[in-house]
Order: sequence, then C-alpha cells, then structure tokens
Amino acid sequence: MVASSDEDMTLMMQTHSTARTRINPLQAGMRFVSTIIGPDLRGGSVEAPSQRAKSGSMAILCLTVAVALLLVVAGHAAGRRGYDVAPPLFWSGMVLLVVPTSFRIAWPTTARGERLFLLFLLAEALFYCKKVYSPTSFSGYDEFLHWIAAEDLITARRLFLPNALFPIGPTYPALEILTTAIADLTGLPLLVAGTLLLAVLKGTFIGALFLFLESISGSSRIAAIACLVYMGCSTFFLFDSSFSYQSLGIVLCVLAFAVEAASKDLVGRPRLKSLGLIAVLLASLAVTHHISAAFAAIYFGALACLEALRRRDPMRIEAKIGVGLTAILAIALPFLWMQARGIPLAGYLGPVIEAGFNTLLGKILGAATPTSQHLEAPTKALYLQLTTLLALLLLALGLATGFFRSLAMAAQSGARSSWGAIHDISKCRWRDSRLMLLTFLAFGLPISVAFRLTVIGWEIGNRMGTFVFLGVGLVVAVSVVHFWQGPAPRGWRRIAPAAGLAVIVLGGVASSAINPIDGRYRVAADQESIEPMGIETARWAKEWLGAGNRFISDRINSILLASYGRQDVRVKIKDGVDPASIFEAETLGPGEFWGLAGSDIDFLLVDLRLSTAPPVLGFYFQPWQRRQGTPISGSALLKFNDVKGVTRIYDNGSIVIYDVRGLHENL
Amino acid sequence: MRICNKNDLPAACLWAGAVVAVVATTDNLLLRTVLSVPMVFLVSGHTVLRAFGVRTTSALQHLVYAVGASLSAGIAGGFVLNAADFLTPLGWSLWFWAVTAAAALVAAVHRDRPDLPAWPALARVRFWQGTMVMLALLVATGAYALAVRDEAAHREFKYTEFWLLPSPPGNTGRITVGIRSAETQAQRFDVEVTLDGQPFAVLRSVAVAPGDTWTREIPVPALATRQKAEARLYRPEDNRLYRSVSTLVPRN
Repeated sequence: MVASSDEDMTLMMQTHSTARTRINPLQAGMRFVSTIIGPDLRGGSVEAPSQRAKSGSMAILCLTVAVALLLVVAGHAAGRRGYDVAPPLFWSGMVLLVVPTSFRIAWPTTARGERLFLLFLLAEALFYCKKVYSPTSFSGYDEFLHWIAAEDLITARRLFLPNALFPIGPTYPALEILTTAIADLTGLPLLVAGTLLLAVLKGTFIGALFLFLESISGSSRIAAIACLVYMGCSTFFLFDSSFSYQSLGIVLCVLAFAVEAASKDLVGRPRLKSLGLIAVLLASLAVTHHISAAFAAIYFGALACLEALRRRDPMRIEAKIGVGLTAILAIALPFLWMQARGIPLAGYLGPVIEAGFNTLLGKILGAATPTSQHLEAPTKALYLQLTTLLALLLLALGLATGFFRSLAMAAQSGARSSWGAIHDISKCRWRDSRLMLLTFLAFGLPISVAFRLTVIGWEIGNRMGTFVFLGVGLVVAVSVVHFWQGPAPRGWRRIAPAAGLAVIVLGGVASSAINPIDGRYRVAADQESIEPMGIETARWAKEWLGAGNRFISDRINSILLASYGRQDVRVKIKDGVDPASIFEAETLGPGEFWGLAGSDIDFLLVDLRLSTAPPVLGFYFQPWQRRQGTPISGSALLKFNDVKGVTRIYDNGSIVIYDVRGLHENL
Repeated sequence: MRICNKNDLPAACLWAGAVVAVVATTDNLLLRTVLSVPMVFLVSGHTVLRAFGVRTTSALQHLVYAVGASLSAGIAGGFVLNAADFLTPLGWSLWFWAVTAAAALVAAVHRDRPDLPAWPALARVRFWQGTMVMLALLVATGAYALAVRDEAAHREFKYTEFWLLPSPPGNTGRITVGIRSAETQAQRFDVEVTLDGQPFAVLRSVAVAPGDTWTREIPVPALATRQKAEARLYRPEDNRLYRSVSTLVPRN
C-alpha cells in the first residue's frame, strides 16, 4: 500500500476534522498521534527514479563550499584578534557550507552518486574547518598527548614507551604506528602525516557508514540522510576529527559493522571470507582504542542475542553462527589484548564512569551535589546554546516520528503499514536484527543528553554520542523519508526537513566545543590556552636546557613542554605529593618542600597568567584535582623566588622557569 | 560489468617494489609521497582483499574495504617491525612490499577469487563545471595558505625572554645570560650581573631586534662553595627593573 505525501497530509487533516465531529475525541486524538508517531511506512518505495548525478549542481556546490571555507578562515583570523566580527564571519561560512549541501543531500530526487559526493565534500570541508583553527600544529589536549607518543615512537623507534601524561596511551599505539609509517615512508613531518591520515579516516568513515546504513535500510536516500544526521553529533566536528585514537577507532568500528552487514545474506565460503576481514578489522580495533573496541563488542554481542531471539528465521543457521562467531571475536580480542599488555582499564575508566553515574543519579534523586558540582559548566555564547537546543529538539522530533517506523522497517515484510509490524516484533519476528539494534540504540540519546547536563558526567555523555548517533541517524532518516518527506514531496515538505537537517548539523558544530572559533588566550581552557608564547617557552627549554629534563607544570604548559620542548614532564612528584599543592599553596610547606627536595624533578615552570582568571574548565592542573572557582594567587606562584636552593633561570614576564636541582643537594 | 582479469596484482607488486626502491635511494619528498601514500592507504589493502577473496559489489565498497584492510596491514606492520627492531623507513617499505607480494601471490594462485567491481561511469563534466571545480580548489587552497600565514604572523603577547644558565657539566667557570625579543620593535637594555650579591658585570645598551637572540658567556670564578649569580634586565628609558633571573654557579 503506497500513499503519497499529500494523502498523508490529508489523513492528518481528516484526523483533525474527525476529532471535531465525532463523539469520542480520545479515540480521534489517539488516531492523530498514531498517524504521527505510528509505524506506517507511507513513503513506500523511498528511492527516487534512477537518474544521473548532476555535475552542474556539484560544481556549483564545490565553489559554494570553497567560499564558505574562506569565510571560516576569516572568522578564525578575526577571532585571534578578538574582533567582534569573528562569529558572524565564521557562522556565515558554516551556514553557507552546511545549508546548500544538506538541502541537496536531502532532496528526494538526488542521485545516489551525487549524494555520496556531497557527503564526502561536507565531511572533508568540516574537517578543513576544524584544521584551520590551528593549521600549523595540533590544537586539542588529546592531540598533543598522541603527538608526544608519535614523536617518542619516531625518535626511539620502539613501541610501548612510557608516557607519564598519558599512561594508557602506549598500550593502544595504532594511531601512532600509522602516522609514523606515513612520516617514515614519505619524509613528511608528523603533523602533515597525521593530518593526511585524519583526512583519509574522515572520508573512509563516511563511506563505511553510508555502506553500513544502506545495506541494512536498503535505501541510499535513508543512508545519506542518516550520515548527514550523524554529522550533527557533538563529537563529529572536533573530537572524532582530532589526532587521537578514537578517530581511528570509530572508523575501524564502523568498517567492521559495514562488512558484517554486507555479508548478512552470504553463506558458505563467501561468508567465511567476510568473517576473515571482520576478524582483521576487529583485531586492529582491539589495539587501537578501548572504548571503540568495547562498543564493537557490545554491538556484536547484542546482535548475536537478537539473532538468537529472532523467530521464524528464514535465514540458514549458518548465518546465525556467523554472527555468533563475530560476537565472540569482538569480545575476546580486546580482552586478550588487555590481558596481554596488562592494561588497567578499570582503573583508568572506572572512576570517570562511576563519578558520572553517581552525579547523574544524585541529580535525578535530588541528592546533595558534591562541592565540585557547585561550579557551573563553562559558559557558552547564547546563540551557540540556542542552536544546540534547537538541534536537540529537532532530533527529538525525528526520534519520536521515526522510532516505530524504523521498527516497522525491521519487521517481517508482511505487516509494513500498521501496528501489526510492532506486534510482530513483540513476538520476536523481525527481518533484520541490525535495524532493530540501531533503532533501540537511538534511546541512548536522551541518556547522553542527561549526562551532558552534569559537569562530571559531561565526558561520558559526549563519548556516548559517537556511538548513539549511529542509531539516531538511522531513526531520524527514516522519519524524514517515511513521514516528513515521503517519496515525492512538494512545497514545505521539501524545504522544512532539509532545513531541519541543516540545523542538526550546525547544532553538532555549536556543541562541539566551548567556542569553535579561535580566540584570545583564556586560562586553563585547553586549546584556547595554547598560543605562541607558551610554545616558544617550551622550545627555549629544548634549545637551552636540552631534551629530557624532568619538569612539572600546569596542564597546558606540561603538554607544550612534552611536545615542543621534548621534556620529561611528570604529573606526580612522588607518592603523596601532589604537584597542584606545590603550586597552589601560599607557602611551600615542609611536606611539599621535602617532597620536592627528595624527588628527581629538575625544573618547575610557572605560568603567571594562571593568576589572572579562574580556570575555564575548572582546574589548572589535572581533571581529578579539586575544581576551582577562584584564580590561584600570584604570590603563591612566585613563592619559589625565596626558597633556598631554587633559582629562577628563565623569565619572559608571564612564564618563569625555576631550577630546583639545587634543592636536592639540601638532603 | 565486472572486471575479471588479475592485472591489478602484478601492478600492485610493482608499485610496492617502487616504494622500496624510492625509500632506499632518495629523500625526494614529492616522489616518496606520491608513491607511498597510495601504498599505505590503498594498494596493500587492495591485495589483502583479493587474497581473502572478499566479494565487493561496488567501487565504493571496494575502496572503503581496501582502506580498512590497508590500515590493518599498517597496524600489524608496526608490531612486527617493533619485534624485529626494524621500525625504520626501509623497514616500513619492506613490510608493505612483503604484505602486497604475499597477498598478491595468494590471490593469484586461487582460481575462485571474485572479480573486481566495475568502476562507475564518470559524469560528463562541461568546461564551465570543470572551471568552477578548479576555482573552488584554488579558493580552498588559498584560504588554507592564508590561515597558515595568519597563524604564524599573529602573536597575542609581546614579550622579552631573559635567562641565566649555569655552565654545562665539564665546562665550569662560565654562566650564560641571554635575551630574545618577541616585541614589535627593537629595544635597548642594560644587563647587570651580581655574584653572591656583589656586582660582577654590567652590559650597557644591549640592542635586540624583534625575533633576535642575544647571548653572552660570562666567566666566573669556580669556587669550592656554591655561589648564586643573579642577572637583572633594565630598560634604560625608564631605568625600571624589567626582568630578574638567577642561577647557581657549579662548584669547582
């Protein structure tokens, strides 16, 4: 049964009319709600008649995107100088980039090839926008950690070198392996090799995601719109485009999903061959990133469970065994790697997850919040908050109107246009377990949003988004295609859904960082705190003190010293002595003094700018330290001037380096 | 129409061999990049896919799978070369050659390997469309170049670095005082050095231009006891103490 979009609209109007005239308004209301959120797949065949890609519109969009990129670059340049015109320039560029491409991708009659081209264009253009924030260096905190690891690898030519700033990093060295392979073979600097790798990963991710969603939904239109919705994830623009192991992990993860989904109807040797490729990808994933590997394990484990639950299976038992074997591999390989390397993953992730859950539960149950929670989250501009909120509302609308429709798509083909499909599913009769799983995965969105509302749980909510949006993308795309647009939409049905999708993508950019535009220096704000003076100081240390001296400093200068300065930066002076207390205390107490004297630390780097404002992220040193709402005092930072055995060897007016080697002789 | 010959396999082996030759013989960045980047991202994975015999149904699918398999081959190479203590450029080129050659051999000897998917027909591009795409590339590249230039040129903070360092081990009896300017214009400074609180040396009207570094090694007596050297930087125009640094003179 195929109904046009106009018929769909007529039905809704009739429902209104019915509600006015009939005796039972409750029943009419129920029908109306059912029409909106129900499982009717009124789009019927969602693929537009086959047509060739329009090279003219692609060429025009290429030029539009290029002009948009120029505006984004101008926005960053204005932001560096603190000009008020920066946000209008940057966001006009973003709107020019996202809106026309989104409209064309979401257009019902656009050809598959053209959709694909535009998806690649948009993904790479967004990566470009991320890169021009800091075109000559890495910018994010995590990027520096991996850059340091890559520098260590290419210098020592050995894996698993210890990294005090990132203890778990050396046990997941895949990103550094690939980057140094490119750098070694080509002779390119690590920054360029890393950027090249990330650009290829971005394209591969979009290609793999498209193939994955196309093979389970059977529609290139749904797959393309789902990819577009995925770009609205808060991690897509920045976090998963950064030089960090999750950027590689999520690509391998989705590649494994795509290969598995494409092989779902295969049996015998072809299935085994695909399983071989999946095994290789999962093995690579196991040594790449813990959370992505865990998600792959959860996905394949859940898929195997759903396959086991599925009744009236027209598929051969062989296919079920294939899914089961994949699940075993996905679970066993990361576990084996952790055992082989002795990775203390529970100790690394456990406290973060526990604190996040406790905070969220406390918030729900109205329990007293910890002191650190009294500090507010970093403030964002109102327009950024409103864009994020609007995008979230549109996603919620898409989920509400797409959830049952996605389930209906997963149902056995006999009952596609009524609640009978849902009834079938409740009886464990569905066509494709992957579709079921992704539909239920979309439920993760409200949970991730809830986490993001807490200061401590924000990290969990943000990371969840990367995986949850696989489901969100699909459900919203089904909603757009089967409810909002239909097969041959006209009038507002063409414009409004595409505009909504553009807002969702812009919302992803808006929620990706406190401020996605490069700006003036801010205290303890990760990438907003990295500027040439700190970099030059770190380079001075390398040039005049040599590499490998033991330093302690605040969070930002630590990564600058370790990367540009190639220093041996420590986060611990010795057991029981916290570096933060060394810097924050007004006077150097006996505990700190003897701790420092008894340590092997050579130098302290003190950034006096820390005393000018409270830390933007709530901490000056490390996230696990007490959150601060007030600035550290200048006299506390300068107390080392008067300590016998400590000399002030470097001063640039804002940054001072103290030589504490003389203290060790006091012992 | 699927592609049913296996000419791609010897071509991949030749490509891998060319990478080994180029990495072993030249430092030419362009040549090494042009040959090595496809090797790392595509060629090795393509032959691995052929060896596995995974059937791909479209060019996109084949490309995406080949990139995934290449990434896996590269990651595996890291561990193998680390175990062999051969994580060097030559080691990497030999690894990719070995993977490509071995995979091509496996693919060649098995007769049941699936054919390659056909390439999609290219859309007809008119002159104006090609011009627009080229213009777009030019604008995007130019914008990136502007971003690089702007970031390199922009400095939020203007400052002068001042330091005093003890002599390195084995070269006692000297201290090094240095100034580096990151100001907007050239400046003159007076430098005053004291040793255990006693005036020891004075350097007048030291001129440092933006971006320049000025250093001076000052001989100091190396004694059996530790001495503290201090250096102060003054700006002559206002005779204000601008910077102050210190160091310990190593014992004799």
